[in-house]
Amino acid sequence: MNELEKLLDRIVQRININLRELDYDVSPFIKNLVPLNQMVKFYAFYGITPHHPLNFEFRHSSLAGSYFLGKIRTGNSMLYKSDIRGDELKQRGDVFRYQKFEIPISRDEGIDIEDSFLVKTLVHNYSHDPESLEKFFIKDTASTHYANIHGSPSDGCFLGPFATVDLTTMRDCIIGAFSYVQAGEIGHLNVAPGTVWVRSPDAFNFLYRHPLDKLNRYVDFAAGRPPQGVFIDFVEGRKEDFRRVFDVVKLEPSVLVPSNASLDRFAVIKPKTRISENVLVAQRAYLQNAWLGKGANAQENCYIVNSRLEGFDVTAHGAKIIEADLGKNIFVGFNSFLRGGSESRLTIGQESIIMPHTIIDVNKPLTIPPGHLVWGLITDPADLELNSMSLEDFSKIDGGLVHGNLSFEGHGARFVSAFRDRIHHILEANGAYFDGTDKRGHAQKNQKISFNTIQPYADGDLQGLFPTIMIHP
Amino acid sequence: MSDFLVKELMVPLSEYATVPEGSTLFDAVLALEQVQVEFDHTKYKHRAVLILDQDQRVIGKLGQLDVLRALEPKNENLGDINALSQYGFSSSFVRNVRKQRRLQASPLKDICSKAAKLKVDDFMQAPSEGEIIDQEASLEIAVLQLVMGHHLSLLVTRARKIVGILCLTDVFAAVFHTMKECEIIL
Repeated sequence: MNELEKLLDRIVQRININLRELDYDVSPFIKNLVPLNQMVKFYAFYGITPHHPLNFEFRHSSLAGSYFLGKIRTGNSMLYKSDIRGDELKQRGDVFRYQKFEIPISRDEGIDIEDSFLVKTLVHNYSHDPESLEKFFIKDTASTHYANIHGSPSDGCFLGPFATVDLTTMRDCIIGAFSYVQAGEIGHLNVAPGTVWVRSPDAFNFLYRHPLDKLNRYVDFAAGRPPQGVFIDFVEGRKEDFRRVFDVVKLEPSVLVPSNASLDRFAVIKPKTRISENVLVAQRAYLQNAWLGKGANAQENCYIVNSRLEGFDVTAHGAKIIEADLGKNIFVGFNSFLRGGSESRLTIGQESIIMPHTIIDVNKPLTIPPGHLVWGLITDPADLELNSMSLEDFSKIDGGLVHGNLSFEGHGARFVSAFRDRIHHILEANGAYFDGTDKRGHAQKNQKISFNTIQPYADGDLQGLFPTIMIHP
Repeated sequence: MSDFLVKELMVPLSEYATVPEGSTLFDAVLALEQVQVEFDHTKYKHRAVLILDQDQRVIGKLGQLDVLRALEPKNENLGDINALSQYGFSSSFVRNVRKQRRLQASPLKDICSKAAKLKVDDFMQAPSEGEIIDQEASLEIAVLQLVMGHHLSLLVTRARKIVGILCLTDVFAAVFHTMKECEIIL
């Protein structure tokens, strides 16, 4: 275990040197986050498909329970039960468009993880940094439970549990627990827990701050112990169901899957689940008595329980939908937690947008009208009134708005249209619009996928580390 | 520029408004009123109150802006407003939010009554290095320090002990006087 301990020490120091300006020591937050003996217990695995590059290089790294797809390199890093999903990386010959620039991609893009510690983290999408087109770097960075690094190169950063950084290059930043940042480029920022920030310079700026006294019930993270709260309790309560899918080598789907839909073999499917055409269910998704209509999807770390999604609904990475009925074309953003009850259903009208990192937790029935934008923390109709607005009204904002804990500056119409475009792109990429010939996406491309496993040293000084491994076609 | 020395322009400490540490803002305002009546007939001359420790040493200065700052609403939302700039909101947006919050807060009368009970220690400014000047220094040096530090006054020392305060208005009057003299000679 000696080498593993040294590796963690080295990573901590590298992160701290980057965060010294913010006077932040990550050591007490990550030193005991995962007992090092856990790093020996789990194999890592990678996917092989004809549709994605197969190019892996693992050096001096611990990869316990982690999944890899595409072109990925790790060096001097520790990854624990993380998903490094390189199925949306740029490919040689693509053209990257940014402002007035059109830059050809000269080689396949790769995810490059160096001197970093990722715990139960999802890495997905492609680098949106116009200065780093072929390398999606994650360097001197630590991320904790259920964080999402989505299209966001990172250098010298710390992400708290359930934090998401989306389409943003970050340098020397702290992203607090359950914070969502989509701001293009940030540096030397300490983003407080529960901040939801979406900014497009010269177009709009959306900032919501969760009330910390209420948020602590859902996610509470302090030095010296793993995260606690409702979110962790919910996930941990279903942990055993995942053990079976990871322990068994050959698993037949327990539900009928149409030929144009995709159900990952590392997803948990419980009884009375229905999967319709063009549906995508990613690894580590959890479905129980879930009705997924045509083109709906459940991405990594999503939980859909006793709920019905009518179709073309996006359940973004880490979102949880419990005891709810969703109309068509609804977007549920990253890590959102929507929980109704058997006697208190949550109903969401079609074409609504649930902002990333929204919490709706009700013990009386609640209905969100169609075409609404919803954000924040909602436990009753009064909260809904304060934290939602029809998309039509939101589009009329021109200037600024302060509404409860929300501050918005800019053009509401551009904000709504940016979200609608993004939702359309997600559905398209996931294959929701596949017509049998055209518009093939992940739901169709991820069907014929096989998995190989790799193992760490089981004993000795290198215990928990994986040998240097290079995998090519 | 002139032959003026700081000690010739300063207001001696004995004539300036002072209060002991631990006093309330209301005590400070009363002290200011008192010196205006007793020592000075120029309406706006004294703009600050000096805070003294138990050994009668100056440990801070409470200016008019510091008193007004004490009237600002103190609630959790204020932190949120301050954070807006960090998140890329424009200064005009932040200003409007502040105005909105101010209008939503209690009427000025209520705020003043509450603020009067606050301690001067929480709002005073500790003297900074560039704010201290020796009494033997020339007017030129005083002008330099006032301009560089954007100060409204300087604390004057003799043998490292604060003995008076040099006000911007007095320095300006001296400069104005010197200008007029030059004009006459020319």
